[in-house]
Formats: sequence, structure tokens, C-alpha cells
Amino acid sequence: MPTFTETAIATKKKREIKLVGIDMYLITEKGIPKFDDIGPFKCEFISNRGTKVWPGFVSPDLLMVNWYRCRFMATKDVQDADVNIFLDALTKQGWWWSAAQKLWNYDGEAGFSKAY
Amino acid sequence: MGTQHIVTMLPGEGTGPEICEAVRLVIDASGVDIKWEYEEIGLDCLEKHGTLLPDKTVQAIARNKIALKGPTTTPIGTGHKSANVTLRKVFDLYANVRPAKLIPVLKRPWDKIDILNFRENTEDCYAAIEHMVSDEVAQCLKVITWPGSYRIADFAFKWAKAAGRKKIYCVHKANIMKMTDGLFLDAFREVAKKYPDIESGDIIVDNCCMQLVRNPAQFDCLVLPNLYGDILTDLCAGLVGGLGFAPGANVGDNCAIFEAVHGSAPKYAGLKKVNPSAVLVSGIMMLRWIKEEVAADRIQKAMFAVLDERKHVTYDVGGTATTDEYAQAIVDKMHAKA
Repeated sequence: MPTFTETAIATKKKREIKLVGIDMYLITEKGIPKFDDIGPFKCEFISNRGTKVWPGFVSPDLLMVNWYRCRFMATKDVQDADVNIFLDALTKQGWWWSAAQKLWNYDGEAGFSKAY
Repeated sequence: MGTQHIVTMLPGEGTGPEICEAVRLVIDASGVDIKWEYEEIGLDCLEKHGTLLPDKTVQAIARNKIALKGPTTTPIGTGHKSANVTLRKVFDLYANVRPAKLIPVLKRPWDKIDILNFRENTEDCYAAIEHMVSDEVAQCLKVITWPGSYRIADFAFKWAKAAGRKKIYCVHKANIMKMTDGLFLDAFREVAKKYPDIESGDIIVDNCCMQLVRNPAQFDCLVLPNLYGDILTDLCAGLVGGLGFAPGANVGDNCAIFEAVHGSAPKYAGLKKVNPSAVLVSGIMMLRWIKEEVAADRIQKAMFAVLDERKHVTYDVGGTATTDEYAQAIVDKMHAKA
């Protein structure tokens, strides 16, 4: 008789994982960051406290803090090594970042939330 | 007639349009001068405009700075962003004000409940930062900031002071989430120093739930982070008669949207049988916001009288009246008392 833990583990479905981008969490006092493409990664949106602040309309009353989530999507097939090069380039540009989160598709579906 | 107010009306979907028509009938009969501008929101405009919240609607709200909103539905798991959450983010409506007050004629096990809930509306687990970090692990980022916490606490104390309230508690789980809820609590305590005339304290969220169902009369005002606020405000609504009578306001520095907190009940759409009271009491709240206290008092008094008589009430409170008949009975009651 399997334990509940064994039963739960047995239900795991194998899915195909594909790297498609990176969420970068930056700290800056200089307002909404601007980026050129960095290698195969292109900035798609920037959010602050979960609210999209680039591109598009930003309420002048919106409360923003010094911590931005910047979503970079891959413009071609990329590997983990490309992320290392990207992080190195970003750091050399002078950006201070608190965390990076790789974005993966699972069986072709995004494994990350969209921005509001 | 006094000042004319321009209000954006967002009927929503499902039963929303019939509810909002009934509410408009009552508000227009109260003596207040409101020019209603109708705009679309929700599932019904998804097909037409490809979005739950069209730009035209956003522009109208930005222009008028005040809106009354009917219920909308957020499709689950379709990838569409909630119109409600988007509205809060676009207009930075950081304060969700949810009064829970006993309606005298609704029989409840308590003698007195009059709680003002202030829910932070933009942060916490609602920042839409979720990732599948492996193929078997999902994570959601809980974002709490100092300025976001400070301003909801300041908003709550200021509102409470203007309303003559005596006591505010901060609801948290800072014993476990020491960084996030700890920051929320620290900001609350900092703000509390500015309001020495109002008693302040804090309570752990699980204990607060237990105390609310045991002895709700002990609470006056509560300030809550987003997720606890979402849950506890519905709990409080249940204490006073359910979501059918629960008003709500989403308020920012320059805009306020008043809305019922219940769903759009699509299976009842067109049957004209649902109770419009939640949108109506939200409308009463809106009238007080625009300083139309006389009209607000008239509607509230007439509504309580109709509920008390139980001749023209909807099915959920034991009657057989339609949405329109209930609204008309309130109008008749206002005119009878005029």
C-alpha cells in the first residue's frame, strides 16, 4: 500500500521545459529603467509593485518604489549560458539587481504570470 | 436641485445591468442631480473589444473621477486579466473600504456590528508575480512595501477620525511572515503615532477570525493587507447578512469606484429576481462621498422601511418581489415620507 506521499509523487507529469526569458528585479532610484536589447534578450515590460509601468500609460499618481521587475524575452532559442552572459552584461551596464528568475514554457504554455 | 454630479456607470455583466437600472431608479428619485455616463466593462465587451476593460471606459473614469459599478466576472484560468484588478492598478485605488454594519431588520445572532474595514488593495499576493519555478513547484511573490503600507494606514486613520471612530486594529501574521507582515505592522505603528486620539492595536489574523465570529461587537476599524482583507471583509459581510447587502469602495488619491462585492450571477441574468441592495448601499456610500448626505439618508431610511415591511422584498430575504418592484417600493417609500 503506497503512502500518500508516494501516491502524490507518482502523479507527477513530465513536461517539456523551454527557456524563453528572464524576469530581472532591479533596484534603482533613477525612475523607470530603459534598455536596449541585450544579446538575444529584449525587454518586453517593466512593472513596479506588480503594476505595468512600461510600455504604455502610467498614472501620474501611481505609487512606485525603487524596485522594478523587468521582463526580458528571448528573441531566438537560448540556453542557460546565454543567461549568464546577459547577467554579466547587465551588471557591467551598472544595474544593481536583487534577483533573476528564469522564465520557462512548459509544454508550450507560459509558466509565468502576465503583467497588469 | 443642487450641484450636478457626473458619474460613470459601469453596469457590468450578468445581472449587473438590471441591478444598476434599479439602483439608478432609486438614486434619481432621491433628489440628487446626477448625470450618468454609461460605459462597458467585463465579459460582454471581451468579444466586442478584445478586452475586459476598454480604453474608452478607462478614459471616462479618469475624466469623471467617480464611478458606480455593477458586478463583473473574472474568467478563471483563461489568461484574461481581471477587470477589477486592472481598474485598481490603472487608477491606483489603494484603499478598499468595506463597512460591515448590521441592517436592523435582518435577523442576526448579534445585537451590534459596525466594523469599518480598510483593505490594502494593490500589493501583497495580488502583484501578479507568479512563476512555475520548476515543473512541480509554483511560487507567488508577496510584495509589501513601506509606502504602500504607510498610506493605507494613514488613509484608515484619517477616515476613522472623520467618522468619529475610536479604535483601529492592524490585522497581520507578523509572527510568521516577519519581513512582509512585519513591515506592514511597523508602518501602521508609525502612522498611529500621528493619531493619539484613536486607540490602536494589532491582532494576528487567525485570532481575528475567531474573535470576529465569537464577538464581532468588540471591533471598530480594521486595517488589513490585501489577502487577509479579501477574506475577512467577506467574513464580515457574512456576519451582517451576506454579500447581498455588502457595499464597497475602491479609493485612490484622485478617483473612487463604488461597487457591490458579489458576483454577476449569470444564471439569473434577465430574470429580474436578484436583490440589488449591495449596489444600492454602495450607491449610498457614493452619495456620502460626494457630500449628498440628505439623499443618502433618504434612500437608506426608505430601504430599511421596505425591508422591515417585507411586502416587496426579493426571494433571498423571503419575498417574491422582482428587482424592479423592490426598487420601486423604495422610491414609493421615499415619496411617501417626503
